[in-house]
Amino acid sequence: MDISSDEADDWFMESLHIYRDLHVFQLEHPTKVIEWTGEKSICVADYSSARNEILELLLPLKLYAGGNKGLCPERDFKLQHGGFCDEPVECLRHIFGKRCVVTSGQYSSKLQVWDIGEGDSDIIKRTGVINPKCPSDKGRKIASGVTDGASVLHGSRINDVQQTELVSGRVLYAVGTDSLDAVSGLQFVNSSTFVVCANNGTLYVGDTRDPRMKHYVLHGSMSGSHWVFALRKDQPHSDPAACTVARLSSFGQVLVSDLRNLCSPVRQAQLNLQQNMATCDFLNVTWAPVLDSCLAVSGFDGKVHIFDTTSWSTVSQTPQPVFVHRGHDLSHEAKTDGTLLVVTTHVWHPWRPRTLLSAASDGSIHVWDWVDKNFEHF
Amino acid sequence: MPDIKVTPLGAGQDVGRSCILVSIGGKNIMLDCGMHMGYNDDRRFPDFSYITQNGRLTDYLDCVIISHFHLDHCGALPYMSEMVGYDGPIYMTHPTKAICPILLEDFRKITVDKKGETNFFTSQMIKDCMKKVVPLNLHQTVQVDDELEIKAYYAGHVLGAAMVQIKVGSESVVYTGDYNMTPDRHLGAAWIDKCRPDILITESTYATTIRDSKRCRERDFLKKVHESIERGGKVLIPVFALGRAQELCILLETFWERMNLKAPIYFSTGLTEKANHYYKLFITWTNQKIRKTFVQRNMFEFKHIKAFDRSYADNPGPMVVFATPGMLHAGQSLQIFKKWAGNEKNMVIMPGYCVQGTVGHKILNGQKKLEMEGRATLEVKLQVEYMSFSAHADAKGIMQLIRMAEPHNILLVHGEAKKMAFLKDKIEQEFNISCYMPANGETTTVTTNPSVPVDISLNLLKREMALGGPLPDPKRPRTMHGTLIMKDNSLRLVSPEQALKELGLSEHQLRFTCRVHLQDPHSDTDTLSRIYSHLKSVLKGYAVQHLPDSTVMVESIVLKVSSSAEEPDLKVVLLSWCFQDEELGSFLSTLLKKGLPSAL
Repeated sequence: MDISSDEADDWFMESLHIYRDLHVFQLEHPTKVIEWTGEKSICVADYSSARNEILELLLPLKLYAGGNKGLCPERDFKLQHGGFCDEPVECLRHIFGKRCVVTSGQYSSKLQVWDIGEGDSDIIKRTGVINPKCPSDKGRKIASGVTDGASVLHGSRINDVQQTELVSGRVLYAVGTDSLDAVSGLQFVNSSTFVVCANNGTLYVGDTRDPRMKHYVLHGSMSGSHWVFALRKDQPHSDPAACTVARLSSFGQVLVSDLRNLCSPVRQAQLNLQQNMATCDFLNVTWAPVLDSCLAVSGFDGKVHIFDTTSWSTVSQTPQPVFVHRGHDLSHEAKTDGTLLVVTTHVWHPWRPRTLLSAASDGSIHVWDWVDKNFEHF
Repeated sequence: MPDIKVTPLGAGQDVGRSCILVSIGGKNIMLDCGMHMGYNDDRRFPDFSYITQNGRLTDYLDCVIISHFHLDHCGALPYMSEMVGYDGPIYMTHPTKAICPILLEDFRKITVDKKGETNFFTSQMIKDCMKKVVPLNLHQTVQVDDELEIKAYYAGHVLGAAMVQIKVGSESVVYTGDYNMTPDRHLGAAWIDKCRPDILITESTYATTIRDSKRCRERDFLKKVHESIERGGKVLIPVFALGRAQELCILLETFWERMNLKAPIYFSTGLTEKANHYYKLFITWTNQKIRKTFVQRNMFEFKHIKAFDRSYADNPGPMVVFATPGMLHAGQSLQIFKKWAGNEKNMVIMPGYCVQGTVGHKILNGQKKLEMEGRATLEVKLQVEYMSFSAHADAKGIMQLIRMAEPHNILLVHGEAKKMAFLKDKIEQEFNISCYMPANGETTTVTTNPSVPVDISLNLLKREMALGGPLPDPKRPRTMHGTLIMKDNSLRLVSPEQALKELGLSEHQLRFTCRVHLQDPHSDTDTLSRIYSHLKSVLKGYAVQHLPDSTVMVESIVLKVSSSAEEPDLKVVLLSWCFQDEELGSFLSTLLKKGLPSAL
């Protein structure tokens, strides 16, 4: 790192006040997935190199030391398990209740099932392949089933969305619509209800007991927009009534809707974010699991932006973020090939209110706990 | 097959002490001689019985090499050399030689004087041990004896730390000790050339970590100091010597300047004395860039950092003090600690590992009540922060080092093979080399393929080239005939004739003769002609001649036909060949035994 860079120095000095905790790591290859596989562990995977690794990392112990934090010097990630994938990883999901992940790749439409392994060996082994039962695009999107029987919901276009049981490979459910809209994301709300978001912002709500889905077209979307979504549930098997959906477009539009009434958003905003990337590949919006009404947005540039939607209304305005993580931009070694830095993904910590993990296209991965200025709470 | 044997001493999954034996080209080398800091009994020493059961090690070891001054790498050295017995050379860099005895003496004092242990080395033993040390300079090849040479490379990590290349003939091993691949403010990163050793030996301990950036560690340090100062507390930072201490000072100075802070920062005088002493070591040890930005600073050129006086410890208000010794086991840092421990606004920041028995070790284990001299109890109410600043390589660093050195094999010590299968796969796939992970006490034998350089005589070379054919291709070895003469220390390849001449010998000629019986109704002369025609048609490309003296010659092989008066149809074909034509001769006799084709 260039020690004499003033801006970087300024940011590090500022970081003393704006973060409680800050950890900056450099992976050998960049990842576009961060997936929690346990209370203290995450999985990341290569998307850009010849030999694509899947790694399970244990978070720095210092974060979990509680009252004894001062006595714990462990600040590093520990590599717990690793494996090799034959294609760059597009999507990676942890299977609910199991030591198992499912990936999709950029070269094919197949899904690969991996066993992370227990204490004895540190190898992540591939245990199976799922081939979608109809022609499909590469890089399918995946969601984990939420019941005890390990299954995945996956799709690349609305008409090929299906649910497959992992052990047997049996197709448990397939949608009965012929829409060719591309899938940008999908997620289970409870054991049978699920939501799919298409690239054009249309939402589909389905039930695995019925091949028909309800769909909600998005009005007022700017042409050429690419949309992603995030679902906020109160518990894994909640009543659909208690769910909120956020949709984010590549032009910075955000719509917040109640799952009971997806036709009209309850809040919306136009974020002041310019996308500097040609691809919408890294666009990401997430709800904070602990903080009320907070969401995080990334994929436009080298930063992660956090907003509090409480003060938003049905009339679109341009809110200020409550926090912006600029770490990736400011601890980035300038690349000579002129590629712009972009945050590829981010996730919230499941129970620490203000802790996030974010990764960028230069291979960096940060763990940070930001300070809410309005809170003044250390 | 030539091979190199590597044995990490110790038992089972024991981590925490480095002592590795290497057998290469008939030489035995001990790499590091560390103490296990977790044990209080003899288990803390390496088990030398692997080398010999009968006492002294001198006859069994050609040399001992110490990579750096940390106790888990040199702590057992005086025990090995003076209590077990070793009188051969001990190699280490100049800074290591200067700092080792101080750490060993400190360690001895704590263990013997404070903990009252016996069966430990004495001060005199430390002195006697250091007399056997031969100092190394970076990148300088040192001949241990006629055949064994060693060379030290910069390892980063701590002042004086080295990676070592050991070479016998064309076989070599590189041992990394502890190293780091990302530069520190005062140390720089490890570096080695493409020396392509047969084996690269390194620690597996950090191979499965991904290190948090140095900047974030510094940030944590500054944050903690600032928090304490803000609430009016005092911060004690016990440090060992130059290097880390100066780095932290520069950090604080920059921070104070930026934040316009007024609280005083002090540097104890004990440190200053040591600083001057080690200053010289630094000058030769660090590179140009670091010398410019770091070493040339005079200790007292800091704007905000002043020399400490004992009386200041009682001054009211916030302050930061750097004091020795580093583990709070004696001296000024302990005195200051005793004064400040009772106030929860204060803080002590421990920048590294503390040996068992020291106050540092106790408070890092969470102890809140300490027993001091004279049965007095000290309550520890101040905040204790353990920060690790030592620079180590991680998973990425190991890959970088392998890329630099290009070893043929890699050997990871102190790891559990099952827990490192992924790293092994990764290394083997990316570099196409073998990765070994012996358990402690287990010997790994790595077969090497050394090349033996040989001088070839000009005549022989010309002769081979004159034979024509394609240009020499290293992928397609061609057989040639020559004689290898090993004389004194040289290896020469010469033609057999020249060898015989030099040795004053004359070559023996060996001729084989055999008789083949043929049934043939023709005359002897006709039979011979038939044989001639047959051979001419079979042996195309060979020189087959029918000579007027009634012989047929194939190359140098002579054939004659005769018969007896009693049995004129039973022809005896006499074949005679010299040793060089053995193969052709055998072929001919087998061919003729089959008889002549009737069509001739």
